[in-house]
Amino acid sequence: MLLTSTIIILREVLEGAIFVSVLLALSSHYGLRMIWAWLALLIGFAGAYMYASKLDTISTWFDYTGQEIMNASIQITIVLLLTVFVLLYRRPDSRLVKPILAIMIVTVALTTTIEGSEILLYLSGFPDNSSALYSVILGGILGAGIGVSIGALLYYLLAYFMANGVVNAAFLILALFSAGMLSHSVQILTQADWLPAQRIIWDTSSLLSETSLLGQLLYAIMGYEATPTANQVVAYVFGVLLILLLPRFFVKNTRPHAKSD
Amino acid sequence: MLMMAGKAVAAPEFKIEIKNHLFFPPVLTVPAHTKVKLRVSNQDPTNEEFESYELNREKIILGNSQAVIFIGPLEPGEYPFFGEFNPKTAQGKIIAE
Repeated sequence: MLLTSTIIILREVLEGAIFVSVLLALSSHYGLRMIWAWLALLIGFAGAYMYASKLDTISTWFDYTGQEIMNASIQITIVLLLTVFVLLYRRPDSRLVKPILAIMIVTVALTTTIEGSEILLYLSGFPDNSSALYSVILGGILGAGIGVSIGALLYYLLAYFMANGVVNAAFLILALFSAGMLSHSVQILTQADWLPAQRIIWDTSSLLSETSLLGQLLYAIMGYEATPTANQVVAYVFGVLLILLLPRFFVKNTRPHAKSD
Repeated sequence: MLMMAGKAVAAPEFKIEIKNHLFFPPVLTVPAHTKVKLRVSNQDPTNEEFESYELNREKIILGNSQAVIFIGPLEPGEYPFFGEFNPKTAQGKIIAE
């Protein structure tokens, strides 16, 4: 019970923690205070509670594939918002501070809504005051602690890189995270039969299993998938290009925050 | 455009039940090289998460409710799945042949 709850909650928290860390590193570098993240998490927790309590209705939509359609819509929205975020971030215009803050708050709140609702749906299965619940909460605290610690480590690592002029380190992680999300959206839309079913095009599970510790970590950071379909790979590459390449067309030679990268 | 393609052929439907944190049937045989519609019905009052790394599938099945998951087309072989919320008992596998 303890191990199960640790793993479940770690998996959910880790993804959120990594995302928040990257955005925090970028926002600190931009000269913004961290308060936005607390607001975003607060909205996200409320969202998670609402989403979890409405999931019984949502699940029945579209012939019982409402969950996939809803999650994919949220994830694609996050990817699009992140694309706009990078474009705005790269422009030297103080009027853009508000939209940048707004996008960070909305994307973190949405991520927290999805990950948090899954934790709530898991926890709701344990009766109040039972010894199982005690064990689960202990495991959950452990899992959340590990997840937040890894996030903090990533934050300081990125902050170090950025302080030394390598701003692109954060954009690289953001691009991989965003691409992983887009690729996952394709997978769940296939699961719901909204995208055509496909065979997998390679299998790296014998090299690096998704169930291994490193596999789980890479899944959380960059959506590692041992057995992807062609559509998933295309979505992934497209997702990376959106974040890394698109700004180069729109924002020419005006990278105010990138000193020497 | 892409969205329409998946709807063209009706996939054969198979049913899996969750009861007392166990899957019934624990072993399900489905045709290989074919898209298959799984209808997973959770008879327990508690939520479960249907999960399979081999099938690339993951979905929460709320207590006392059902859900649809499309899988495949699969190469012939065995594809284990489990209930993430009760991984010790809730285990099963799909055999494609």
